Amino acid sequence: MREFFEISDRFIEAADANELLYEPLGSGVTTRRTRRYEVEFEGGKTALDAFIRKTLFDEISQDFSEGDEAALEGFSFVVEYGMKPGALDLEKEAILTYYRGITDPGFELKDLKIRQRLYVFDAEAKDSDRFIRDICNGAIHNWNVIQGS
Amino acid sequence: MEERPCAVLLKFPGTNCDGETARALETVGFVTEVVQISELTPEKLVGVRLVVLSGGFSYGDYVMAGRLARLVTEQKVGETLKEFRDNGGYLLGICNGFQILTQLDLLPAGSLVENTSGRFQCQWVTLKNRAPQSPFLSQLPESFEFPIAHAEGRLVTREAGEAAGYVASGAAALTYATDVNGSFEQIAGLQDETGRVFGLMPHPERFLRQEDHYDPDWSSGKDGGETHGSGYYLFRSLYDSVTSTSE
Repeated sequence: MREFFEISDRFIEAADANELLYEPLGSGVTTRRTRRYEVEFEGGKTALDAFIRKTLFDEISQDFSEGDEAALEGFSFVVEYGMKPGALDLEKEAILTYYRGITDPGFELKDLKIRQRLYVFDAEAKDSDRFIRDICNGAIHNWNVIQGS
Repeated sequence: MEERPCAVLLKFPGTNCDGETARALETVGFVTEVVQISELTPEKLVGVRLVVLSGGFSYGDYVMAGRLARLVTEQKVGETLKEFRDNGGYLLGICNGFQILTQLDLLPAGSLVENTSGRFQCQWVTLKNRAPQSPFLSQLPESFEFPIAHAEGRLVTREAGEAAGYVASGAAALTYATDVNGSFEQIAGLQDETGRVFGLMPHPERFLRQEDHYDPDWSSGKDGGETHGSGYYLFRSLYDSVTSTSE
């Protein structure tokens, strides 16, 4: 079975997109980041949910959404990127090490993929190339772009 | 001969301020043992009066600062740190240690998130001592300076009113004099109800000596040609509190 979770920071407001780019894009373009987890598992869904909430989510400062839909609305596009298969993802390894130390977790974690989602607001669709060029590293990352409606 | 109180300094993968924090503890009189989290057992805390969680980037700050350190600590020793507190022990968390103590629910509810600047901030700040009776702050003046060095030091609560409550109740023992990082109510440090658990984002261990200050003419203002920095007085306050209370 496969589940998707997306976690966004409640208190972090949209930031000026130019801070992420080598060449300014112009005024008014903003970004927000979230983190998306793709989990492949067998066993109890309730136990998995409890693990995800306890391990990856902070009730005070974050919002939690489940499913494959984008957690934020009104974006121009989203650049979603993460480590290539085979590249060392230290965050994933730290989470898996913790998981392996749990006695009887109630589910079996088969695979975990961590993806960063960069939501870009008030930009043009073609601008996504600029973000990919300046943020993603072709040696270690793979990425995809989700266009806004 | 007077017996020196024992302190344990917990070290996680990524902790990097343990050396200078241990030096600060030894300077004021504690016998200090640095204990790797992988080697922590409840027995290690028998006879110990103080547990310190120092600064750094435990587990690379993955997921969020302090989260994995909390999970591993709970996995390793369960409620041991809470029992240690309940039995009269003192706990101090500095920077990443503060983040870990909040995650462990040893301090009033709050989370330390990214600074509003969106950047790692490394600078000196002026602080207000709002709890002069605190075992950690009793020898510090109303206002003093410490250095900060953090990216995730903005204290937030579920509702802004909660943070105001912390100021009113005295739980917010330390506040910034100006808005440094967007912390609610400019909170820089929290204490629990017992007063024996204290966490702060600034680094007192980096200001042990007068010459650590950026201004060569800085003086604590104390008589007798003191050469100590303000950080020394935090550790000295703690030492005096620990030694004045029976185990």
